[in-house]
Amino acid sequence: MIATLYSTGQLNAPIGLACALALGFCFGLCLEKAGFGSSRRLAGVFYLTDMSVVKVMFSALVTAALGLVAAERMGAVSLDALYLMPTILGAHAVGGVIFGVGFAMGGWCPGTAAVGVASGRVDALVFLIGVVAGSIGYNEAFPSIAPLASWGSRGVAFLHQSLNVTQDQLVLGLTGMAVIMFWFSEVIERGPAIARPGVSRLFLAGFSVVLCVGALVALNVPRIDLPLAPAKVPATALSPTQSAPGATPGDAVLSEVQTGRDHIEPLELARRIMERDATLTLVDIRTKQEFDAFHLPGAQNVPMSELPTALAPKRGQGVIVIYSNGMTHPAQARDALARMGFGNVYILTGGLKDFFEAVLKPASLREGPQSPETVAAINKARSFFLPAELAKPATPALLTPPGRLPGLVDAAWLKDNLGKSGLKVIDLRPQPQYNSGHIPGSFALNLESLRGNVGGLPSMLLPAPLLAQHLGQMGLTPRDLVVIVAGEAPHDATLAAMALERLGHSRYALLSGGMKAWSAAGLPTDKNLPKASPTRYPAPDGPDGFTVTGIEVNAAMAGGKAVIIDVRPADYYNGTKSDEARAGHIPGAVNRPFTDDQADAPDGSKRLKPEADLAKAYAALIPSKDHPVVVHCRTGHQASQTWWVLTRLLGYTNVKYYDAGWTEWAARPEWPAVTTQTQEKKP
Amino acid sequence: MSDTEKTTQPGDGPDLPDSTDAAGTGAAQPSQEPSPRRAWAQAARQATDDTPAPPPMNPYMAGVFLGLTLLASYLILGAGLGASGAFARLGAWIEHLVLPARVEASAYFGPWFPAPLSYYLVFMAVGVFAGGLLSAVAGKRVRLMVERGPTATRKIRLIFTLIGGVLVGFASRLAMGCTSGQALSGGALLLTGSFVFMGCLFATGYLTAWAFRRQWR
Repeated sequence: MIATLYSTGQLNAPIGLACALALGFCFGLCLEKAGFGSSRRLAGVFYLTDMSVVKVMFSALVTAALGLVAAERMGAVSLDALYLMPTILGAHAVGGVIFGVGFAMGGWCPGTAAVGVASGRVDALVFLIGVVAGSIGYNEAFPSIAPLASWGSRGVAFLHQSLNVTQDQLVLGLTGMAVIMFWFSEVIERGPAIARPGVSRLFLAGFSVVLCVGALVALNVPRIDLPLAPAKVPATALSPTQSAPGATPGDAVLSEVQTGRDHIEPLELARRIMERDATLTLVDIRTKQEFDAFHLPGAQNVPMSELPTALAPKRGQGVIVIYSNGMTHPAQARDALARMGFGNVYILTGGLKDFFEAVLKPASLREGPQSPETVAAINKARSFFLPAELAKPATPALLTPPGRLPGLVDAAWLKDNLGKSGLKVIDLRPQPQYNSGHIPGSFALNLESLRGNVGGLPSMLLPAPLLAQHLGQMGLTPRDLVVIVAGEAPHDATLAAMALERLGHSRYALLSGGMKAWSAAGLPTDKNLPKASPTRYPAPDGPDGFTVTGIEVNAAMAGGKAVIIDVRPADYYNGTKSDEARAGHIPGAVNRPFTDDQADAPDGSKRLKPEADLAKAYAALIPSKDHPVVVHCRTGHQASQTWWVLTRLLGYTNVKYYDAGWTEWAARPEWPAVTTQTQEKKP
Repeated sequence: MSDTEKTTQPGDGPDLPDSTDAAGTGAAQPSQEPSPRRAWAQAARQATDDTPAPPPMNPYMAGVFLGLTLLASYLILGAGLGASGAFARLGAWIEHLVLPARVEASAYFGPWFPAPLSYYLVFMAVGVFAGGLLSAVAGKRVRLMVERGPTATRKIRLIFTLIGGVLVGFASRLAMGCTSGQALSGGALLLTGSFVFMGCLFATGYLTAWAFRRQWR
């Protein structure tokens, strides 16, 4: 098989241009030798005085046709490797009519006029100026005559198919007709003072026989299996911008599919659309309904069955990209079009689905860190492709309460936003209470399910992967805004918050006053269970950055710099009460019971004290906002509240959470413990 | 130019007494003689000769060679011969010199940019010119002149050929090729559209040629 330059996409590469130059040279030589450097000779065909045009043209046509038939039947060349012009009946008929008038009027056609100019014919030069002008005129008129240019499109149609005869019959018929025309030409040319080439009857008889025998031979050549020539695909990947009429890589459909040359990547397509690439024709083959809901800018909605007609004016013109949601239908359409001679059709890799994933997915939802340039590019693409309300820098439909996140929300805000997408309400109350009435749509979560024995230590917040799996079962996604609803105790809410913090999920808020505030406000509840499809919540790698171990606290204690805050009730701190292996507290630790941060609201709920009060209280304990602080209690439950107050409300930046707390410390006799009495003994 | 034309006119055949020879082949004669006297002598010989010199080559053999060139083009390039495409590209390039933004945004020429001339058919047209030039020079058939009938004015001939060129340029774009690119190249592949084009071309050519005959008289 011959790999033509067209089939390897090298028609306009240097080698293609060089070959075209050489072939053009032979072409010009033949035309000139045929006497076509003269317009009078050419025009003579229309006055029946010089039939050279017919003789030369049909000799050439039959010679080439026989050669091509033979080459194809031998297996030397595949039709896929040839540029097959589609038949567009309207364009060909009307074009032929206009061309006929122009040819008779001008006495030249473009190729012969080039030879005429070489022969010094001024009229040929003027004719070519007209051709150039006519081409420009066509370009200017194109928008209004485009329907004509595609009228009666039949795709690649062969004459024997159109006439419903076999190729053999057509080739033999054509050869016979050519021979008859030659003899007829010789006869009608005879007349007074007619210039005729010196062709004897004997020559013509011999030539006629040679043509007919040639036709029979060509139609009966045996198939020879030539080794497949290695495809000389240029090293530089063929960019669709290089595609041009007759030059698109459109040979063997299968080889293109195999090499993926029929694809255009989402990012490449996005770039071209955003640059308003005039060479791009974008075709959406989804249903009208889907198209109306969303389509890429500039796309036209064409049903698959109408593609050949609708795209006919764009055949060979620039780049046609067909897309759908996926790839199956565009791929089928592309194959069909390629076989009809559309060499410039591409399909969008992965369809709209991949386009959204690769181009429009918000930076905040992508895996791994994104460079600022990437984020800017994504935001630019989003504002270009998405409707304005979706393209805001915030991710689409991302619900954000007033104030900071993580933070606090009140019942009124929650009520107003209930039912919005992206909102997940988690109810931490025991199940009987949840079952008998909860905030509509809220999910029940047993706080203790977030804790367990880790490495022998009881009541530890579970590792991130377990928490991710656990919360994923509730349908939690990183985009969700979580509102944590405790019964009333703020430290219940903050313990759940620690789980979200460990996952790196900062889009959450605590409902001030918990369920008690909701009920006190007379807001609605129901008894329905919410629906959710489990998700795969991505678990962060590595430690959470705020939890410290007993050994680290020991070191901090020894260092003496860190403020260790024991948030247990004072009697536990003092050592007068104990549920643990030892009574007392860590030497140097200060006591700030978590209950000191809570206050009763007028509605009867327990809430965190106002920020100003808390700030004042902690400013007395901690020298600066970035001073190292360790908070702990017995199991990590109460300390979660202090940690949350310090970091999320008051903005302390270096607060560590000793989760294992006094449970672990007391059980390690080698670590020092003091009671208030022993401490008072100290000087 | 007019000087050249004057000296070469005898060889063009316009002085033939029998002007019904509408398409006399005198133009193609190797008559660029060094001496004006010999040229005149030849013209005089022609004027009395009813059988002017034949074209440089037997048209059937020229056709066979042309067919073989076309076959080679298909087997090497994968595409046929063509001429009008190059002039359309030239038109795009020229229009771009004047109205760059408009052309680049246009539906038909637009996709050819940024490099409308790096196209195989443009190079082929250069080859056609070179091949024609070599053959015409070698055969001494180069003659600077406006080819026309003996009594036709230069003006009428140039007006006709200009309008003809405009029509041909337009029609070649509409039909996606001219006599070489569409009729011959497509015909050799037995494509239906090419035969439709060819049929319409010759039909209207014969129907309208009568109206344009005066330029050859």
